[in-house]
Amino acid sequence: MSARLNDIKDHLTGGAHPASSTDTTPDDVVIVAANRTAIAKGFKGSLKDVNTDYILLQFLLQLVASFPSEIRDHLDLIGEVACGNVLNTGAGATEHRAACLAAGIPYTTPFVAVNRQCSSGLTAVNDIANKIKVGQIDIGLALGVESMTQNYKNINSLGTISDELKTDKRANKCLIPMGFTNENIAQKWSIDRAKQDKFASESYNKAERASKTGLFKEEILPIPLPSGKMFDTDEGPRPNVTSDSLGQLRPAFIKDKGTTTAGNASQVSDGAAGVLLARRSIAEKLNLPIMGRYVAFQVVGVPPEVMGVGPAFAIPRVLKDAHLNVSEIDIFEINEAFAAQALFCIEKLGINPSKVNPRGGAIALGHPLGCTGARQIATILHELQPNQIGVVSMCIGTGMGAAAVFIKE
Amino acid sequence: MLRFEMRGFSGYAVQYSPFLDSRLAVATGTNYGLIGNGKLWILDISPEGQMVTRRDYLTQDCLFDLAWSELNENQCLVAQGDGSLRLFDTTLDKYPVAVYQEHRDEVASCNWSLIGRNTFVSSGWDGLVKVWSVGRPNSVMTLKPRTRSNTAVLDRPNGTGTTNGKDCVYQAKFSPHDDSLMVCCSGDSTVSLFDLRASQPGQGPTHQFMAHSGSETLSVDFNKYRTNVIATGGVDNKIKIWDLRMLRTGPLSIRGKWPEGPRGAKQVQCTNEIVGGHELAVRKVNWSPHSSNYLLSTSYDMTCCIWQDMGYATDRTRGNNSGYGVTTGRTNASDLRNGLVSRFTAHTEFVFDGDWSLWGAPGFVATTGWDGNVFVWKGTP
Repeated sequence: MSARLNDIKDHLTGGAHPASSTDTTPDDVVIVAANRTAIAKGFKGSLKDVNTDYILLQFLLQLVASFPSEIRDHLDLIGEVACGNVLNTGAGATEHRAACLAAGIPYTTPFVAVNRQCSSGLTAVNDIANKIKVGQIDIGLALGVESMTQNYKNINSLGTISDELKTDKRANKCLIPMGFTNENIAQKWSIDRAKQDKFASESYNKAERASKTGLFKEEILPIPLPSGKMFDTDEGPRPNVTSDSLGQLRPAFIKDKGTTTAGNASQVSDGAAGVLLARRSIAEKLNLPIMGRYVAFQVVGVPPEVMGVGPAFAIPRVLKDAHLNVSEIDIFEINEAFAAQALFCIEKLGINPSKVNPRGGAIALGHPLGCTGARQIATILHELQPNQIGVVSMCIGTGMGAAAVFIKE
Repeated sequence: MLRFEMRGFSGYAVQYSPFLDSRLAVATGTNYGLIGNGKLWILDISPEGQMVTRRDYLTQDCLFDLAWSELNENQCLVAQGDGSLRLFDTTLDKYPVAVYQEHRDEVASCNWSLIGRNTFVSSGWDGLVKVWSVGRPNSVMTLKPRTRSNTAVLDRPNGTGTTNGKDCVYQAKFSPHDDSLMVCCSGDSTVSLFDLRASQPGQGPTHQFMAHSGSETLSVDFNKYRTNVIATGGVDNKIKIWDLRMLRTGPLSIRGKWPEGPRGAKQVQCTNEIVGGHELAVRKVNWSPHSSNYLLSTSYDMTCCIWQDMGYATDRTRGNNSGYGVTTGRTNASDLRNGLVSRFTAHTEFVFDGDWSLWGAPGFVATTGWDGNVFVWKGTP
């Protein structure tokens, strides 16, 4: 009797098998292409004179040209375009639709602008993936684009909420500038300046090495500038950065005791990135290349005053969905909004630091807000080896964290 | 909807007679089939539309499956918990006309060959599959899906995708198209295909693959129209549809980290899957006898569903008369309703089995489960 009872028990409790997220099925959402522009320095870089619609158009022209002919010659197969953007008015709903049309995507393909702050690019990917999952579309394009140079002026750095809400302590927390949320983390969990500078210098060194050895060549699509010059190299990384050289910089937010500097925070940047997703059954039918598959995505809320802890809570949440644990992940791309918050997340989750941002992060490469999530996917899918599992994550202003799991094929 | 209540007995299997349009057989057990007697019920659907007991046969142990004889309209075979298979004749009272005693543990399934009409197959908790000829007391052939060499591949420690090592063969079925082809599914998640012309005792199956990513595979069925298509249901709550011609080679491992075994289970990609259709394990899958893309599933979530396989379109659904169906490139996930044709929710306990009526208007289904009910309902519009 006990054997029969145990058998029934196994059938009732055996549902969540770890492999369920890791074998391939025709319903999988797969990534056909993931690319980005080089990332330009804000206010003085190559893209300082152009706006997001120009960047997006040029990027799309290159991206479409790189597609296999089954898609390139039949762009109407793209069921939807979602584009992440933070700083443009209305997240760029008008000008980015215009850029898509100018790039040759037919008017029959609808467009949606997505803004979830720094996770907008990743959220756009999730939006497309979900639509594929439920069967609304078969193929979709997720984009992210930002010109912090052109549009930083559009946001009041203190944000705007009505006077009536300002008296509400909880609402007011959403206005804390990002730098201060990072100082809160550094202070609360005693992450000192030296440690932050060391982390930042390593980011610079990794990015510099990756850039020099051409590791970004496959993911970067060169785009022409109005001058005719091609823009194909990240402008953020610089040589010979050490924790000592970063140690010279003055705190940016809290004059005397602060630990956050321009050197250990993400750079202000411009750029674009894009990810083409499809259902596996359709990708195979059209003979499209499959780079990897999208497994899961989650966003969590965290206290706005320490918004940088987001990844420390989003990553376990998404790994739970995928029945994976931290040690099974081969590479983490965790956005380096600031060194202190990134360090907190890495330590809190017990991640082996060598697995985090092996090609540098936003401190060295830059953080074009709405583009970042898509940029990280382009990077991670080119650095993972077949069958390796990667996690993309970032903290989000006003107190959130997002994370997604991808498997390279 | 018709309902028949078997007080004190839980249903494990139900099958329409292949000879008589109003007859059903139900295999049951007392105490939810965990311990105690079993009973085979022979039910007739009366002209007034009521199910009535024609005969019943009390057995010493619970019954887990049954198969009507394809040779004799009065004979019905049951799979019993004590390791025996018993053949009852509905013209006789009480005792079976034959007993086939070889399985060491519970017999989980039995299935009569539609082509070789005096042959049937059984599978059991002892991990064995046995082929029998109705006139012979001993099995003709004993097959073992789990051999020493593939066990090594299946049970690699610490890898995702390893199985629980459960031996139990939950279901074995003959192909309705070729009586030398037999498929079975096991607690170690594998589906094994045996070609009886080539099978030798002690050797593994002709083909074997892991069907439900390490979760137990509880049910398997051949499509009655598409000769190479099978469906499986598993403890991962999924229903998968496979094309046996697409046994894609590749290492079993999903992460490429395991060495390839000598005769290991291959990782195969299904052609379609139904995810989120059931909230708990899928106990049975059964293809329609009337349509090449309709499938019945019963589940521990107390529901039974009829699904349309969206990956395949028949002439009827396509509205032409070319004589052939086509693969569509779609999956059930690409359909907003996931291809669900109907869901039956009247059972109040686990639903263990369901069978399509071969008779009358297509689409009638009989189901049974732990609640002791047999329901007959219309599954397709």
